[in-house]
Amino acid sequence: MSNKRKAQDFLLQFGTYFAAFFSFATLSLIIFFIFTNGVKLLNLDLITHDYQAKTHIAEPLAPNDTDYFEPEETLKAEVYYSPRWGLGLIDSIDLMGKTQVEIAYVHPSSPFQQLHDKGLSHELLSLKPDMMIIRIAYSDQPSSLARYGAEQMIDELALSNQIRELEFTIPGGGIRGSIITTFYLIVFSLLFALPIGIGAAIYLNEYAKNNRFTRLLRSFIELLTGVPSIIYGLMGLAFFVPFIINVSSATSGSILSGSMTMAVILLPVVIRTTEESLKVVPDEYRQGSLALGASKTQTTFRIVLPGAFPGVLSATLLAIGRIIGESAALVFAIGTAIKDDIRVTEQSTSLAVHIWAMMTDEPANIELSSTIAIIILLIVLLLNLLIKLLTRRFLRKVSAPR
Amino acid sequence: MSRINTTLRSKKILIDQFAHQGLKTLALLSASFIFLIGSVILVKGLTPFLTDNDGLGRVGLIPFITGNVWLIDPTFQSSLYSVGFLIITTLYIVFLSLLISFPVGVLTALFIAKIAPKKLAECFRSVVEILASIPSIIYGLFGAGFILKIVYQMSQLVGVQSKGGNSVLSTVIILALMTIPTITTVSEVAIRSVDQRLIEGSLALGASFTQTNFKVVLTAAKSGIFTAAILGVGRALGEATAVSLVAGGRRSGLSFDLLDTTATLTTTMLEGMKESQGLDYNIRFSVGMVLLVVILITNFLLNLIKRKVGKIHVK
Repeated sequence: MSNKRKAQDFLLQFGTYFAAFFSFATLSLIIFFIFTNGVKLLNLDLITHDYQAKTHIAEPLAPNDTDYFEPEETLKAEVYYSPRWGLGLIDSIDLMGKTQVEIAYVHPSSPFQQLHDKGLSHELLSLKPDMMIIRIAYSDQPSSLARYGAEQMIDELALSNQIRELEFTIPGGGIRGSIITTFYLIVFSLLFALPIGIGAAIYLNEYAKNNRFTRLLRSFIELLTGVPSIIYGLMGLAFFVPFIINVSSATSGSILSGSMTMAVILLPVVIRTTEESLKVVPDEYRQGSLALGASKTQTTFRIVLPGAFPGVLSATLLAIGRIIGESAALVFAIGTAIKDDIRVTEQSTSLAVHIWAMMTDEPANIELSSTIAIIILLIVLLLNLLIKLLTRRFLRKVSAPR
Repeated sequence: MSRINTTLRSKKILIDQFAHQGLKTLALLSASFIFLIGSVILVKGLTPFLTDNDGLGRVGLIPFITGNVWLIDPTFQSSLYSVGFLIITTLYIVFLSLLISFPVGVLTALFIAKIAPKKLAECFRSVVEILASIPSIIYGLFGAGFILKIVYQMSQLVGVQSKGGNSVLSTVIILALMTIPTITTVSEVAIRSVDQRLIEGSLALGASFTQTNFKVVLTAAKSGIFTAAILGVGRALGEATAVSLVAGGRRSGLSFDLLDTTATLTTTMLEGMKESQGLDYNIRFSVGMVLLVVILITNFLLNLIKRKVGKIHVK
């Protein structure tokens, strides 16, 4: 081989190595980016908290002079505690880097357990750990503010006999609402898509004759896979949204209209995956069942379908992955309003749309978006792994007796 | 006894027929959705061209598909919409992204299918699978948080003031990254299904391993590789949310400058929808209609080329 040939070969070979490395580098970069940006917000509070922070102004009852609340648990060293009010505070720093005063402990019989809301609603409020105190205004001395820190606030609190009002925040930035929406979306979309998809797959594989009509049906269903999701979104907006508005109390896009749109997107995936698994069920099963006197319906639903169960399961998992990742269609079919109280007839965002809504907002919230992206990525990876295991087991099971 | 049997049998037949018809209805329902989509987009999308649009005046079809400004005059006061420049930028961006994703995708596929040792190939296959399953919004987030910054700093080095990195270049990079896994997966299947005898023949004739891979294997798998490219183009044309985070939302003027802001048909559809009826609402369906037509024509042309290219056999 000539040297020129060798050099050329080496260059081409190097090209393939480089290309493969490029894919690997992309994946590593994406994961690195998402984790470095998102990991600091990743904790349990994120999942349980509301997105919108709520601020209350309230008024507690005055403590008796003789009150003395011994804390019932050992408090951390950084906690400043006022035994007279039964309140423990701690310094913390918010996402913008500002000092704030966080509640670390409230004694069970502290006056702060019962607060009268001074706002529009007259419900009874109570302070709980994790809430932030913004200011405390006294009747007998100047107010204490959060920016001077927890120690000074506790000192001033100890001197006072009467609190005029107390302003505190239940911190936001959580994604509880979007998690619930995503869950509802999964349940309802599958409720629509699975029966239709599995039924259609059974018809195509078990009942339909191989004629022109069937081939036409197949090609129409196959066409659905090529439609971009934003077009599905438009269809949902123009068809399912008005439909749900007509039959329910909804006034705009809703989880229900989103699920119906999503179901249409899922149909080709569900049909194809189910059909594939129906095909693998050996014909001897069908013949045996029919020979024993079972009807066609009994054979299909009692023998063939259970045999194809792993396939149906992996279709479901694929569908769940698609629902969690979908954004463009849902922007149109549900809307982009991030909500905390979730109703199926109202707008709200799935996790993916939550990211989109925050990223198109000014200023874009890259940290929280990355945290949500971590969650989405982990779920998607887990689903992929499950599907892989499932297919491997299914194939082994089917091919074993032969 | 025999009568019981007969009624049982006729009941069974009835159930069978019922199940048959029921399942057939479900299949018909599934197949009908493509018509639902088509008719909804058509009806809503044609409204701006056929009606008076509540006094705003009819939108002209020719100005709509040739114009250079998305909307002249404020929203709700004008019917002067046009998407001409959007059609061209969309195609331009998709073409550029294919310039990156096609070679990288195909070479990765070749590496996985023919060159890498078994363990390494398995590992890279998983990498591509994971990349393919990452939702597009995460690519968009990565683009907005990472690619934009790099493009911004790069453009400052060349002395161009790009708007925070929102540009043709960022959009092209994101689309390329998103289409690489699609192209790799499909071409890998095509490359692996190349007849082993062909490869052995080439090696027996004294061609080197690399020569065989590039001249025989890739040529033999050409048709499948072309299908991969078509699928990649399809995905890139229809991509919306990820692109909308890095494009910059250009409202007018055709620009081929890599560092200038841009917009595609899909990002324009996603931008600020204020009403749930009227022209500003319906016009999005018209854009959707244009997008579908663009996709259909591109697909048709690419398939035509594929048929021509596919006919050439391995020399």
